[in-house]
Amino acid sequence: MDASIDTRFGTFAVTPSDIVEMVQPIAGFETCRRYVLLAAPVFEPFSCLQGLDEPRPSFLAVPPQLIAPQYATALDPSARTQIDQRDDDALLWLALVRIDEDRAFANLRAPVVINPRRMLGLQVLSADERDAIDHPLPLD
Amino acid sequence: MLVITRKRGEAIVVGDGVEIRVLRVGRDGVRLGITAPAHVTVHRQEVYEAVRAANASAAGTSPDSAARIIARFRRASEPAGQ
Repeated sequence: MDASIDTRFGTFAVTPSDIVEMVQPIAGFETCRRYVLLAAPVFEPFSCLQGLDEPRPSFLAVPPQLIAPQYATALDPSARTQIDQRDDDALLWLALVRIDEDRAFANLRAPVVINPRRMLGLQVLSADERDAIDHPLPLD
Repeated sequence: MLVITRKRGEAIVVGDGVEIRVLRVGRDGVRLGITAPAHVTVHRQEVYEAVRAANASAAGTSPDSAARIIARFRRASEPAGQ
């Protein structure tokens, strides 16, 4: 069944196969386990990780590799098990973006990782403690 | 709060399969070894709280401020001279 969802960023069509289940909640959003990743030209190169359960959080997200070219995307065995990653599964990495007045920060320390094959996601902690929770986005 | 005294090398078990063992006791810190099933995540509290606060802040992004930041990010990413 196709459905459309209203978000603060507009109305989007979603199908059940678009839904990502967080195997552990995004920290602070324990009641929201289902998300959809909204992509649209207006967001490029960002996307919107939209929660479907209350309080329906809307996260602006960006691939961490775009912000930090050397960003290491390696998952520990526990995380790999939780999102059922097999060797040939390419994962989707998303840094959540926080806007503070005229500045914006990408959370490189705790990215959300999605296995598209299983549509399972998890917010992980990066192994590198130098990855910042508030990594400034380059803005003009 | 449950309070338990443990010596070096001793452990406590929490729930089904979580074991926390005291590896070393120093003057200012205690080194713990934690064994947990794959679906149990273990975090230092201060890191978890910082991530939680950043998430809460990120979830409240307004469309207007997002559009502004996206436009400024695109301009900053353009090669010089374009």
